[in-house]
Amino acid sequence: MGFSVDFAGVLSGAPLHWLLTGFLTTIVVTIAASLVASLLAVILLGLRISESRAARVGAAGLIELFRNTPFLVQMMFWYFAAFGLLPTGIRDWINAEHSWATFPGNIPLVSPEFIASTWGLGIFSAVFIAEEIRAGLLALPKGQSEAAQSQGFGHWASLRFILLPQALTNSFQSVVGQYLNLMKLSSLATAIGLAEITYQVRQIESYNSHAIEAFAVGTSLYLLLGLAMGRLMLAFAPKRRDGRNETGAGNAA
Amino acid sequence: MPPELDIIWRNIDYLLWGRLAQGELGGLLLSVVIALASGVLALCVGIALAILAWFSTGPVRRVLFLWADLIRGIPLIFVIFWVYFLVPALFGGNIPGTVSVILALAWFTSAAVMYSTLSGLQALSGGQREAALSTGLSEIQTLVWVLLPQALINLVPSYVSLFASLIKDTSLAFIVNVPELTMVASQVNNRTQLYPTTIFLFTAAMYFVLCGGLSLLVRRLMRRPVTASWD
Repeated sequence: MGFSVDFAGVLSGAPLHWLLTGFLTTIVVTIAASLVASLLAVILLGLRISESRAARVGAAGLIELFRNTPFLVQMMFWYFAAFGLLPTGIRDWINAEHSWATFPGNIPLVSPEFIASTWGLGIFSAVFIAEEIRAGLLALPKGQSEAAQSQGFGHWASLRFILLPQALTNSFQSVVGQYLNLMKLSSLATAIGLAEITYQVRQIESYNSHAIEAFAVGTSLYLLLGLAMGRLMLAFAPKRRDGRNETGAGNAA
Repeated sequence: MPPELDIIWRNIDYLLWGRLAQGELGGLLLSVVIALASGVLALCVGIALAILAWFSTGPVRRVLFLWADLIRGIPLIFVIFWVYFLVPALFGGNIPGTVSVILALAWFTSAAVMYSTLSGLQALSGGQREAALSTGLSEIQTLVWVLLPQALINLVPSYVSLFASLIKDTSLAFIVNVPELTMVASQVNNRTQLYPTTIFLFTAAMYFVLCGGLSLLVRRLMRRPVTASWD
């Protein structure tokens, strides 16, 4: 082997500090984007399964657009193009100093990088979450919605009380997988300069060329975060009432 | 021509095939070449691993699944880092960025191919295997001549959607400065600094045509369940 391993160059001094703030930034952007994704997923799903044909077709088009283009290109679009289309007043406000919106560890929450990453990750993941839940709905036996209708439930009432609870139970694992995917995709925010784990790992690599050690630490941080997130989210998994066993292991990566 | 469109028109050859005339492949064509090369590699490795997993029990099987989960548990960008930096460190010398991206994408995708192939094999009815064994075929002959041909045909749609993901994943080659479509587009954007909206919409449209076309194909394939043509 043509190299020796020395973790002191990564786990002390400035590099350690960078890694810690990077780790924190990844966590904060993941939480913020997950909230955006959940909200947008509800809206998209509502449009996708509404009774209006125009809403269904519009939502389907939007979903195809986001599914069939690379996330990286979407991120660059939001950061380089869409941000420039905002009114000057809003841009100046975002670019200004915001001491009140700075997360401990000097992580600015109101900055073009953070906002573009949160929005980009949020809308991309929302599309996939909405489609997972819709797949859960489509997988339900036809008798479920027919029975609800014959009981006098309307379109939305049958969705709310009969169909969606079952669809969510069925698709819970895949939805958790999408949130884990969001966390992993946040690594691409390095392309627009968000100082998260991947950004810091590359900074260490150019600072003291401890590339392999920095990558090893970065890889373990993502694995750890994924395991923790998976455990946490599966703890909230809805209980099945139909007596079927839960399938799959703890980490639905 | 409005200046927003003129910027695309003046760079169209660079965006589509890079400096092909000077012998440097780039742009959309390079993206497709990377996707094809890593796709073929991933398909071969993934199916081989699925066969291995099909026959193995205990530790070998556990190691295979651990390996696949590990690959799927870390960001793709890190898989590219590892190949780009670790392969030269282990074996000496440098490998071109394009080759390391092809290897990394193939490695990453082969785990998904292994999973789909295994589930395709498991989805066949158990009677197929029992009938083949009872005619005197060995376990290996049963897999190669009876089970795999049926499973592979059923799996065509999922392989096609994996290939569409692969096309989108080639955009990550920017991390090691490979001049594929996304890299070339951001170069044009940095150089001109004028019409980012047009440039990135054009780039997105290129990917959309390729991946959207493939997902239409998947939908058509799924609608008509393919039956084996030799029975």
